[in-house]
Amino acid sequence: MTDVLSELLPTCESRHSLSEPDWLHEKRQEAGQAVKELGFPNSGIETWKYTSLHRLKKVDFRPAEIADSTADTTVMPKLEIDNSKEKTVIFINGFFREDLGTYKNTVAGIKIEPLYNNSNMLEKNQEFISSYSNDAFAALNLAGFSDGISIEVDDNAIISETIRLVFIGEHRDPLLRNIKNIIQLGQNAQLRLIEEYRSGVSDFGLTNVSTNIVLQEGARLNHHRLQNEAISSSQIAKIVASVEANASYNSDSIVLGGQLTRLEIDVALTGELATCRLNGLFSGSGEQHIDHHTTVRHQVGDTHSEELYRGILDDKSRGVFNGKVIVEKDAQKITAKQASNNLLLSRTAEIDTKPELQIYADDVKCAHGATIGQLDSAALFYLRSRGISEQKARALLIFAFAEEIIKTIPVDNLRSNLERRFIGHNQMSELKSEAL
Amino acid sequence: MLEIKNLHVAVEGKEILSGINLTVNAGEVHAVMGPNGSGKSTLSHVLAGKEGYEVTKGSILFKEKSLLDLEPEERAGEGVFLAFQYPIEIAGVNNVYMLKAALNGIRAYRGEPELSSVQFLKMVKDKVKAVGLDEGLLNRQVNSGFSGGEKKKNEIFQLSVLEPTLAVLDETDSGLDIDALKAVADGVNKLRIATRAFIVVTHYQRLLDHIVPDFVHVLSKGKIVRTGDKELALTLEERGYDWLAEENLV
Repeated sequence: MTDVLSELLPTCESRHSLSEPDWLHEKRQEAGQAVKELGFPNSGIETWKYTSLHRLKKVDFRPAEIADSTADTTVMPKLEIDNSKEKTVIFINGFFREDLGTYKNTVAGIKIEPLYNNSNMLEKNQEFISSYSNDAFAALNLAGFSDGISIEVDDNAIISETIRLVFIGEHRDPLLRNIKNIIQLGQNAQLRLIEEYRSGVSDFGLTNVSTNIVLQEGARLNHHRLQNEAISSSQIAKIVASVEANASYNSDSIVLGGQLTRLEIDVALTGELATCRLNGLFSGSGEQHIDHHTTVRHQVGDTHSEELYRGILDDKSRGVFNGKVIVEKDAQKITAKQASNNLLLSRTAEIDTKPELQIYADDVKCAHGATIGQLDSAALFYLRSRGISEQKARALLIFAFAEEIIKTIPVDNLRSNLERRFIGHNQMSELKSEAL
Repeated sequence: MLEIKNLHVAVEGKEILSGINLTVNAGEVHAVMGPNGSGKSTLSHVLAGKEGYEVTKGSILFKEKSLLDLEPEERAGEGVFLAFQYPIEIAGVNNVYMLKAALNGIRAYRGEPELSSVQFLKMVKDKVKAVGLDEGLLNRQVNSGFSGGEKKKNEIFQLSVLEPTLAVLDETDSGLDIDALKAVADGVNKLRIATRAFIVVTHYQRLLDHIVPDFVHVLSKGKIVRTGDKELALTLEERGYDWLAEENLV
């Protein structure tokens, strides 16, 4: 039993053969102290009100070590990779496995490296790396991060190939995997990134990810994040993005797997005409718990955000959506739209959804709405009366609900994967692509 | 083909059908007429297996099987089809996709192999022309944004693809102007074959000018109070339902 978070603390020195900069070593020590003082967030903290960490407290985690990166690859989840369109970068238990990925640093305009090897990137991002404010998991991440990805895209570089990051967790011991990622796009650069989390069926690990994204003027990042870990794994993740003038951040967060998933996305729109679109789709069953906390900060005028989250919850699963929009003083001519739609498939499933607007300017257009519903029984009967089995009719209606998000994902492979997940096959796209 | 015997149906404890007897043979067209609240729609819904209806007495045999023991999709598999009075709009579900799932569901029920996409699409293209439905509607979401006439045509189109042996048309004429009514009736008439029976449920006689029935039954207060041929419908048109209700009381 681990009743205090500090017991998850690794002894950071032992896990790397490489030596790290002194400042980082010091910051890790400091963060380690902070973890001890902060402890596990509890329900008394507003942002953790609906998410209990009791499940994590029952597990004796140990920090992943470099030896764990050579876990048996034969029990790994099967990855369907479209080599013609994607380049993969693979991490196992939080450590980079250059040999398994297809990405080589030969694509012009982009540099992808494991963060830990990139001392330049570490130096440049000291401030981000060192900050954890009062967030215990951020402090834990700093104290113990093993590695992560560093992506830099040059000014004006438009990367045509999709980069797919795959973080795989697999071990018979419950591992704590602390991962830190830094993604930076130069002026007018463009990138499509898939960030995927998978784990083996026997994995009981906890992945604690911290990602920092900086989009310089006019840059565009399409970020598709997929949490598809085994039902026994857990994940705590935080994404902090800064979006400069004319830049746009488009994010999909798809959560299908995991026992406990908590994802915080915090986007600051820092220059005029900066935009962000945050979409989310989560589907829980059994006793899964899926929590999204998003914050969009309109720091200057003429910035725009749109947010659509859809949740599907069955059995005793529970979802949490908290969407905060902050419009700073004098940030005029803002538009912010937010919707949270939820489908409950059983009486014991639960969703706690809460929009939160903090507006300190007067010339703004903000709209938000939350819905919670069940499958439409009239539609169900209509489909069944046509000869479609109840199970399939339900799947079709659930898919229809999810498709609002799925159709916005322009990655065929990912989309057909989701179709298969919801309706058991991907004839939908097959049929649609047929010319009538 | 269909034999309804002494059928009593209640909704939330209130009896709506009070002893319906009706026999329908292959190739026949039966019109069921009656004023509002007489139980016409209840009869359609019970045949298709909609939830919320309690059968308190009686039986429905369809090709010697008890229909009441079957789930809605199993009834479809046996060859029952209901054209809805208010076809349901289903956002996010593609019209053709739904129909393919339906046809393959029925084929699987009968132990027949699934149709491939190519076979299916070819068949659909032929049939959509026959019922006069705009091809562009095929790839739209089920009934979403369809006009009243388009929705009803879509029901008849589904009927033509699923090829039931018993088709129940529930107030298919409601909400249609005369041109749409004719078009829908034409579609139905093309689908009249010796092995298929129709039950046409309607409030008004005008649909029966275009789909000429072999039998007309008048439903009142949950019972069939009069059965005749197509002339009965004309009499009703002239004299209204009150005439029958009064006569029945005497």
